Amino acid sequence: MKIVVCIKQVPGVSAVSLDPETKRLVREGVKSILNPFDLHALEAGVRLKERHGGELVAISMGPPKAEQALREALALGADQAVLLCDKRFAGSDTWATSYVLARAIATLGNVGLVICGKQAIDGDTAQVGPGIAAHLGWPQATGVTALEVAADDGSLAVTRQQDGGHDRLRLPPPAVLAVFKELNQPRVPRLSGWLAAERAPVPVWNAEAIGADPALVGLNASPTRVVRTGPPPPRNKDSRRIETTPAAAAAQLFHELRRIAAI
Amino acid sequence: MPNSQDTRYRVEVSPPKHGAETLTARLERFAARYRQVIAAGHAVCITDNAMGHLCFQGHELIRELGLPVPPGQVMIHLNTFHTLADLHWILDGCAELGVTELLVVSGDGAARLPKLAPAEVGGAGASVTSVELLAYIRRHYGRQFRLGAAFNPYEPAEHELEKLRRKVAAGADFIITQPITRANPLVGQIKGELKIPVILEAWMSPKLSLLSDCIGYDLGDASAFDPLACLAELHRSYPGSGFYLALLDFKTQFDRLPAGGAA
Repeated sequence: MKIVVCIKQVPGVSAVSLDPETKRLVREGVKSILNPFDLHALEAGVRLKERHGGELVAISMGPPKAEQALREALALGADQAVLLCDKRFAGSDTWATSYVLARAIATLGNVGLVICGKQAIDGDTAQVGPGIAAHLGWPQATGVTALEVAADDGSLAVTRQQDGGHDRLRLPPPAVLAVFKELNQPRVPRLSGWLAAERAPVPVWNAEAIGADPALVGLNASPTRVVRTGPPPPRNKDSRRIETTPAAAAAQLFHELRRIAAI
Repeated sequence: MPNSQDTRYRVEVSPPKHGAETLTARLERFAARYRQVIAAGHAVCITDNAMGHLCFQGHELIRELGLPVPPGQVMIHLNTFHTLADLHWILDGCAELGVTELLVVSGDGAARLPKLAPAEVGGAGASVTSVELLAYIRRHYGRQFRLGAAFNPYEPAEHELEKLRRKVAAGADFIITQPITRANPLVGQIKGELKIPVILEAWMSPKLSLLSDCIGYDLGDASAFDPLACLAELHRSYPGSGFYLALLDFKTQFDRLPAGGAA
């Protein structure tokens, strides 16, 4: 089975600024990292490949420097990596981005499984995985915390975390999964992996290479409009100091927390 | 008569951080420093993801770069932020290469780094510290390694001395202190009491404020701090002692180290 993992390079610090005009993140001059949730997607892909064979391909849409994130994916065990880079992709929202990724997946061909992290830490939308599934017309599962290939029919047996518990379901491949960090502990890449990744070719595909309609990519093809941004509402700052002996303070704190149902 | 293995300078050489960018150049710089330390008769000390930054492991650097391991001239740090499989990968790798000296510390965690679980190393506590790791290595590798442990003279003495006793009971063969900048009564006490070598860490950065920040303890006027003069003074205060040199500047300090460190 060919497995595709979609990854994103994101700002490595929480203190990023917003462009006051476009309301988009200013990424210039900020240290970039591989989106931490995507590490779990990569780990899931590598483990499936190790257990069942097949090929693992990492793809990412982004500027030229996103190649570094793809090299990390190679160091972690991806067999090949493709950068989707075209000036016309700039400004794409989650819908246009998922269209580009879906076109790349279709171009790769014979893909049985697409794995995404649950969301990127810069936008926090969690929409790209479901968007890919919608563009491809494939079944999808989000919030995946366990994943197996069923021995009887080769379907994907997944556990999906919900607010009130867990779902267990089976998806016939090809399918799209968005995984939670509870799924696995990502491995630490080895130096030998990094050395191989440093030498590996990372092809760059533009809109033509993936057969994307230029009218469906970029800012103009993005239905999302950010009309206003602002800080979240302030947290409850109600505070009270407990002045007594340590043992009595602990007991009083316990009762207070019980009273407000914090524990 | 002090053992020459314990009186030679132990020079910390930071391993390159993970990443494909300029990897070859960073590896070459590491290898050059490593060879420089060995050629001068000192011991190379390679840290383990210091400050939680993901870096290459000492043994994989030695193997991939074909670096020499003269007896007693290489020490590798090992902390508790690994999977059990990676812990054995490191220990077995060290054993194969002839690296016999390990400095076992609790270490600095980070979101990207896994943490050993107590059950994995036979511990009964809530978390794994250097004590449990020392005991685990001793149980599984016998006397194959010469194990070091850290001592922090800036912590409350009673607590730190109790911890030190547990480290020695767990299998520590020698102790390395946190950086000291002048004679320290607590260090003098343990040098007098312990039957194992106590190696003193000297702070070789002119930025003394960094050390103050690290230990959370104001070390006084940082503007006039001269690391080489400090090291010479420590030699006078502790004749015959071994020294661990942290943050040594290879361009300006290496060739000016006071005599007494080379075996």
